[in-house]
Amino acid sequence: MSRLTALVLSAAGLGAVYAAPYVLPSFVISLITLVFISGLVAMSINLLAGEAGLVSIGHAGIAAAASYGIAWATLNGMGVGSRVLLALGLALVVSAVFGLTTMYTRGIVYLMISLALGMVAYGLALRLSGLTGGQNGLTGIVRPDFVDLWWQFYFFTAAIFVLALLAIWVMRRSPFGLTLRAVRDSETRAASLGYSVAATKFIATMLSGLLAGIAGVLAVWNSEFISPAAASFARSAMAVVMVILGGTGTLFGPLAGAAVVVGAEHWLSSYVERWPTLLGLAFIAVVIFMPKGLIGQLPRRLRPETDRPQKPAESIEPEATTHTSA
Amino acid sequence: MQKTGYAANNVPRTEVPTQGKELMLKRNNRPIRGFTLSLLLAVVALVAAACGTPGDDGAATTATTSAAAPDTTAAATPDTTTGGTETTEPATDSTAAAGDGTVTVGFISPTTGFVAALGTDMQRGWEMYWEQNGDTAGGVTVETVFEDDAGDPEIALTKARRLVEEEQVDIVAGPILANTAYAVAEYVAGQGIPTLHITAADDLTQREADPHVLRVGYTSSQTNFPAGQWAFEQDHQTAVTLCPDYAFGWESCGGFVSAFTESGGEVVEQIWHPLGTQDFSTYVTQIQSTAPDVVFIGSAGGSDAIQLFQAWSDFGMAGTIPMIGNCCFADQVFLREVGAEAMGAVKSFTYWVEGRDSEEVQAFVSAYEDAHGEIPSLYAAGSYMMARVVAEALATTGGQVNGSEFIDAARGVSLDNSLYGPLEFDDYNNVVGPVYVTDIVEREDGTLWAVVDETFEDVSQFWNKSPEEYMENPVFTRDYQGN
Repeated sequence: MSRLTALVLSAAGLGAVYAAPYVLPSFVISLITLVFISGLVAMSINLLAGEAGLVSIGHAGIAAAASYGIAWATLNGMGVGSRVLLALGLALVVSAVFGLTTMYTRGIVYLMISLALGMVAYGLALRLSGLTGGQNGLTGIVRPDFVDLWWQFYFFTAAIFVLALLAIWVMRRSPFGLTLRAVRDSETRAASLGYSVAATKFIATMLSGLLAGIAGVLAVWNSEFISPAAASFARSAMAVVMVILGGTGTLFGPLAGAAVVVGAEHWLSSYVERWPTLLGLAFIAVVIFMPKGLIGQLPRRLRPETDRPQKPAESIEPEATTHTSA
Repeated sequence: MQKTGYAANNVPRTEVPTQGKELMLKRNNRPIRGFTLSLLLAVVALVAAACGTPGDDGAATTATTSAAAPDTTAAATPDTTTGGTETTEPATDSTAAAGDGTVTVGFISPTTGFVAALGTDMQRGWEMYWEQNGDTAGGVTVETVFEDDAGDPEIALTKARRLVEEEQVDIVAGPILANTAYAVAEYVAGQGIPTLHITAADDLTQREADPHVLRVGYTSSQTNFPAGQWAFEQDHQTAVTLCPDYAFGWESCGGFVSAFTESGGEVVEQIWHPLGTQDFSTYVTQIQSTAPDVVFIGSAGGSDAIQLFQAWSDFGMAGTIPMIGNCCFADQVFLREVGAEAMGAVKSFTYWVEGRDSEEVQAFVSAYEDAHGEIPSLYAAGSYMMARVVAEALATTGGQVNGSEFIDAARGVSLDNSLYGPLEFDDYNNVVGPVYVTDIVEREDGTLWAVVDETFEDVSQFWNKSPEEYMENPVFTRDYQGN
């Protein structure tokens, strides 16, 4: 894709995002808001899965930590700034636990530890009923005034999403992004070049956790309610499904995946009773026929430049194919 | 991750040729792949459409949904074109446009996901009421838009938003799980729209009661206060409780424990098991070694209840230590699985008894059996009751639905006989009605069902306390069981 097309497309995209609330009904806008929020969680998983080769199926736990943080802080009458700080701080603490326990692992071990930690987060949300309200969850959480109205919240979420997208884009082009890919492609080689593999993974987990935390805050502001379902395995798994649907390691993949999954769960389910079957079949179809995902499989000239495999990684492209379908 | 190893192994050898082949294959295959993909999707769509719904549920769903769809765009645009006004002023009561003679009810239940069975029963119960009694009440036609929440609060909330913003429903009824119910009730009530529930979560009509929220059912603890008192009256001095370790279990056990200890009994041990426990044998041996006079089970039913009872009878405990269950332990799903062993081994304290000697109940059971081939569950009966209360309240208001005024009318509904028996509502919008002590017996045709052994009349969610006094205490949790 040439620079000009890229510019034109991004301008068109931003224009569409800006114009949406003027032309679409509020319910559709609330769905799009949800797509952005789910997209952020998927993006945080994609950051680890695509760049560092670490697939986490416990990320809902991190997002939920931030959600409970903001819920608790709101109900205890803290100011907006300190609420957000507390929530993100909590998400970072949980991410640190994820990072410290997993930084020496990869592959299936990483997967299992992330699953276990996610389940711990779920268990805590369920059991610490004094703080979390247990299964009943916490009600009475209201959004701060500046995002009180649905369209304000939509613009806010969209802005955060675009910023996150830019941040990921910058990160991928930074030396740190290169280091991450080096670690992903060969830990031994990265280590022999003098990089600390564990530290790199830890930092990546923290960055990813921060993103998930931001998504967690937005999720609570969206639903004004939080319950252990937010930390459930189903949530984590759905986020991974979004990543794979959209295309692991692509910039816009998580958004595309989130659109499909949220569309099925929240919209299609109103019209088709067997929507889980359809979603499952769509997932299988994508994995078989489009192993690089909806975005990853786009024709080259339509694919955003950054989503193309980087030059040094070109040699492993066939492997990337096998990897995603495995 | 896996890639790392794979790449490292393969890079030196076959890198270039593989890539070439891969590209060629891809280029050659693309049109075919595209074709196969669309073919596959078409097949999938056909299959989904064909096996859409067993029976007429689905047809009804789609019919009502599409029927109500046309006016959504028109109604939604005025607010959105300005891009700057909020759709609905929160907390101002909405007034239904009863002028066109229809009241639309948004019915949210989980028809997919891990509690799909409950959601399906709920839909059936709801539909059965309107089929039997006609869909007009108070001079207006009642239309229902069904939505599936998959047992997930976030989806439930989206559905509630869709119902309110797109379908402009006048009443919302439904979500069964505590978290879905709270999420929906908070949003819907905040929009000034009345909402009816059968979910058991205590606080919905206690510490978080709202003038727009009515429960046509009993709280988790409500049926178990009589259980505690009754157990002590049967000369049981000591008890062990076994409940699932989450809000419903805490509240169910809380009801029993608080009333049992208040009567003078002693709860020697409270065992909490995780939801979805496969093996209950350790818990059974624990109970065996404690040897209490009575054991109380506060279960949400399903596989947990079945596994528990099977372990209980495998250890030869059935019929030795008396077992008391809550509303949902020994239900029809349980009886179909456990069979005759349950007879005489367990007594339940509940409000829906399928074998109760009442014309109303038996008419419902036989109609439901004719239609769906099984005895209706508590969820089917509860939804039927919700529909009945909606109809009675509409009759009172003359078809008007004005936010909390409608709930006031619904709260004023007092039935001499209903599926639950004589029924009233308290000031906190919860049922005051009978709690039945049941036995499991065989029906003439050999089917197992529950029949009434004893009745506690007019049981309130606050048991023997005043609401204020009751609600000074926190809601029941693992740590607070009323003592």
